[in-house]
Amino acid sequence: MLLQVKNLNFAYGDVQALWDINLEVGKGEVVALVGSNGAGKSTLLKNISGLLRPRKGSQIIFDGEDITNTTADVRVRKGIALVPEGRQLFAGLTIRENLMMGAFTRSDVKAIQEDLERIFALFPILEERQAQLAGTLSGGEQQMCAIARGLMSNPKLLMIDELSLGLAPVVVDRLMETIQTIHDNGVTVFLVEQDVQAAFQMSERGYVLETGHLVHSGNSRDLMEDEAIKKAYLGI
Amino acid sequence: MLFTSIINGLLLGGMYAAVGVGFSLVWGVMNTVNLSHGAMIMLGAYTTYWMSQYIGVNPLWFVPVAMLVTLFIGYLLQKYVINLTMKSGTNMTLILSHGFNLFLVNAAYILWKGDYRSIQSPFSGQGLNLFGTTVPYSRLIVFVIAIIVAILLQLFLSRTKTGTAIRATAQNKDAAQLVGVNISRIYSITFAIGCGLAGVAGALMSTNFVVTPTFGDPFIGRAFAVAVLGGLGTVSGAVLGGLVLGLAETLGALAFGPSFQNAIAFAILVLVLVIRPQGLMGKKFF
Repeated sequence: MLLQVKNLNFAYGDVQALWDINLEVGKGEVVALVGSNGAGKSTLLKNISGLLRPRKGSQIIFDGEDITNTTADVRVRKGIALVPEGRQLFAGLTIRENLMMGAFTRSDVKAIQEDLERIFALFPILEERQAQLAGTLSGGEQQMCAIARGLMSNPKLLMIDELSLGLAPVVVDRLMETIQTIHDNGVTVFLVEQDVQAAFQMSERGYVLETGHLVHSGNSRDLMEDEAIKKAYLGI
Repeated sequence: MLFTSIINGLLLGGMYAAVGVGFSLVWGVMNTVNLSHGAMIMLGAYTTYWMSQYIGVNPLWFVPVAMLVTLFIGYLLQKYVINLTMKSGTNMTLILSHGFNLFLVNAAYILWKGDYRSIQSPFSGQGLNLFGTTVPYSRLIVFVIAIIVAILLQLFLSRTKTGTAIRATAQNKDAAQLVGVNISRIYSITFAIGCGLAGVAGALMSTNFVVTPTFGDPFIGRAFAVAVLGGLGTVSGAVLGGLVLGLAETLGALAFGPSFQNAIAFAILVLVLVIRPQGLMGKKFF
């Protein structure tokens, strides 16, 4: 297993947001985590990336190593990249600077340059606009830039929070295809989505989070057929 | 008379730019108002004074030494003290740095007494004749060095990896962590640079003003005005803010009398806050 989360509990002050979360992401998998607004999806990702600290007794194991007590920057070095909700680009830096910041933890100049070229091939628009400030991009382009920045750290695990947020369906479809390409290149993907259909179509396995509890898990195709999930999320 | 005032204003402004640029950087990047900036200016001035007392030669050679001394003190101060309070907000660091300012100023009183000390500038009495106005070399060189330091800082921030990480952290702390920046370390570096620049300012001004333990205190208010005037965290803004403040003070003194000097500076500050709160060079995204 690449990522293992064991008995993770988290609280914002006195308000518990995550309860006994257990989940796994295997090497080479695409795993989806779905849930409605406020279910705790982003909170879980922030715990995994190290921006938030879980309660005592929680455990996060990455690539066979316990990383529960490490800071966010250390986890990036170990190979976890998070494309955060709302993109969180460095708005006053150029696109190129944003991407180079993505490679902050690396010092292999030649490999960084190669990765940059590969990413420009994946997102040609970013190459065109590399000298432009990131804050001037459209929503879809910003999302591309955020994904590209995440990839620049050469991660083993790419976690994407709400890829589809605020984007037109056609843009989402195109980005999903790109994620597929990234996955084909050997990156494990952990996708967190409100758009249940898109998420389950993309992924092999899935989890459903409801008010801080993991309520369903399993094969994505089975989950899509599940009556309760259909009713709650797909509106069928 | 007007021409002389403009020249004097610009020269004073260069000094204010040196005083304000580090203060502005720390404020803009860390959201910390570093009131110990004045003490760092004082330490830079004393470093220059003592070095030139014991070694002789042109005191301007000790500007880098003064910078290294305050850089080092600033680094330790941030890493081991201020860093502990970073999460508790601006007020806490404000009070803490004010306490450090008091501590350092009083330590200077104990160590060096309150004696007025002055450094003989090698250029004293000499000046450049510019259309009938004499521009003292000692002030001109301070101005030139201040501008050079500002340019070097700008190059550091825009061209180096660490500089880019500092700008990135200023813009989005969480995202900086997510790309692997250790922001505590960035804060220590930024604070050290801010203090080092205060040391440079102190060293430069020590050749023009009398050095006492409270040497730096009047400049804290100026640094504040320069930072707000120019736009927090921008180097070009601090330089422009410094020049505007210097000009306003000298021209104001010419028009309304010297006693209005401080009032005019802060009237401009209030005006900027009302009309253009992001500062003269403040960016939308910064």
